[in-house]
Amino acid sequence: MTTDTAGSVSPVQPHRGRPIGLLLVAVPVLMVVWLIIWPIISAVITTLWVKTPEGDIFSIETYRFFFSDGYSLSNLGMTLWTTGVCAILLLVVCLPIALYLRFADSRIAAYVQGLAIFPMFVPSIILSFAFIRVLGPNGTVDLVLNAVGMPKIRSPYLTPWGPVIGLVWDNIPLTVLILLSGLGSVSNQAIEAARDVGAGKIAVLWHIILPRISNSILVAISFAVLGIFSAFTLPYVLGPAAPEMMGPFMQRTFRELFEPQTAITQAVVTFAFCIVFGLFYVYSVAKNRAP
Amino acid sequence: MKRRDFMLAAGTVAGALMLPRMTFGAEGVIDVYFSSDQNVIDFWTNVVKPKFEAANAGLTLNLVDGGDGAGVAAIADRALAAMAAGKDPQADLLEGFDTRVTVDGIAKGLYVDFETAGLSNYSKVNPLAFDIPTNLPYRGSQVLLAYDTTKLDPAGVPKTFADLVAWIKANPGQFIYNRPNKGGSGGNFVRRAIYEVNGNDPTKFKVDNYTAEAGEAMLTPAWELLMDLAPSLFDGGAYTSGNTQSLQLLGQSAVTMIPAWSDQALSAIAQGVLPETTGLVQLQDLGLPGGFTKLGVLSNGANKDAALKLADFLLSEEIQSAVLTELGGFPGVSWDNVSAELRERFADIVPTSIPNFPSGDWEKAINDGWYRAVAPNVDPAS
Repeated sequence: MTTDTAGSVSPVQPHRGRPIGLLLVAVPVLMVVWLIIWPIISAVITTLWVKTPEGDIFSIETYRFFFSDGYSLSNLGMTLWTTGVCAILLLVVCLPIALYLRFADSRIAAYVQGLAIFPMFVPSIILSFAFIRVLGPNGTVDLVLNAVGMPKIRSPYLTPWGPVIGLVWDNIPLTVLILLSGLGSVSNQAIEAARDVGAGKIAVLWHIILPRISNSILVAISFAVLGIFSAFTLPYVLGPAAPEMMGPFMQRTFRELFEPQTAITQAVVTFAFCIVFGLFYVYSVAKNRAP
Repeated sequence: MKRRDFMLAAGTVAGALMLPRMTFGAEGVIDVYFSSDQNVIDFWTNVVKPKFEAANAGLTLNLVDGGDGAGVAAIADRALAAMAAGKDPQADLLEGFDTRVTVDGIAKGLYVDFETAGLSNYSKVNPLAFDIPTNLPYRGSQVLLAYDTTKLDPAGVPKTFADLVAWIKANPGQFIYNRPNKGGSGGNFVRRAIYEVNGNDPTKFKVDNYTAEAGEAMLTPAWELLMDLAPSLFDGGAYTSGNTQSLQLLGQSAVTMIPAWSDQALSAIAQGVLPETTGLVQLQDLGLPGGFTKLGVLSNGANKDAALKLADFLLSEEIQSAVLTELGGFPGVSWDNVSAELRERFADIVPTSIPNFPSGDWEKAINDGWYRAVAPNVDPAS
């Protein structure tokens, strides 16, 4: 009998890891279902089935209001504008930093890397108030400009560029890290080979480096866009009173106008835009995984 | 706040909301929920708590930041539900709270009636501050104008709202107020403008007389007045996003005048956030609104008697004097009940009247109306 048992165990061995693996992922998956998937479904249901005295009826009234209300639409437009401008600026700022960090091997590179990662450790509320001190009216920048005899600049503090500058600074570390990991897959040999056949710096960047890190760029942009679209603290403290970004707008509708259904509608619309970028990310990860 | 931070915060809040359901308020620990700002909580932590605990052995205070009015209102709603279920609400005293906010709360006896509660100091309360018997006023604060005396001679400071409007227009870019939903200093400046276009009569606004028609008729002229001011404000129509940010702009000398809470302005000057050359002035025709901060005691709290003892203690001369000296507010009791020396020192902020704008539907109409009518009137790209 003992031999029988032993004989029956060994063929199963290769599969033994599977139920344990599934169990290990079960906890996070259930958490995601409970804390994210279910609230999404429940939010969509809440906005579509409106409570009336005769019972719940199906209605798209809240969405009709959102998409016919000029104020809500201008807030959505503002959010899209901020997100788009931030994404472009992030790429413009972070790609050169990442390229420098990948190919430089001086000691300064280590300091640059530390500096690029630094914003990760600064809470956004502190960043916001520091922003007012530094870039605000009569702030440090104004004082420095004044000291060297330059004219005063108009502070971006209460303009749409306020949140843009804050959000770009806040998102630099993540973007640099993702781009840097992508650049790791660009081999020195490939670049040297290209140089040997006479390719210039631009040609190397365009034909050798960029095609290899396009995936990382997509991932970095998706991450940044997802965070910026639903940003709260920076657009709450910085920027103009109106139009608002969706994060503060939702919070105000919910907490100060006491209109939970309208706020949830705004959240669903925001989610619909975010899911597009989420799908981009999932698509590029899946493409990467496929052999 | 990033999404992940939000999830973490939401999880923590959800957990915190669920947790007390499984526990009971501890014996001898008075749970106090605050809607007020951090400076008030600091005042309780550093002054009220040690003094009260020293005077009442065996009683301790648990000070909880409820976030804002809506946060404390949620605690009150929970207490009402707990009363219906015969359970412990795990809360005893709600600071900075209007007991009217809880629907049916007063009718169902959720709050202690202070007229019959037998507080020994109750008769000292300032008659200006009396509201309804379930609200106990214990400190006051009023919005006033804070200005830079190096740029504006105290003799030329506007004393009426009309003068203020004229001054703002004559000095473009030198005045800023914050968005009315993000702090009372700007909020009460907006409310003062609403009084101005309605004959300076605060009695026209009551917590229960809001209708859509009345709102339209009484608020629209105020939006026109404020829109007319917008081009003369800082940056051609910018609004800060809170009381603190306005103080910061005055402190950086970016503007000459702001509306500010008396307590925040006084403590900012004391801490050096605002320079000593900052002047404070109140309008003489009708003051900028302010009010007395009230508290409610839950009748079904586990430590109701101890909470009443605390409420009585708050009205004692010791704490009321500290409200003046430590918090920069003004006392909830009549001025006869604070020391003569303090009466003399704070003569400038002793109010003769404090207009008090009702919360509820009017507040909602102002928050929505201002954002739709006044705020977008500025080209965001300019």
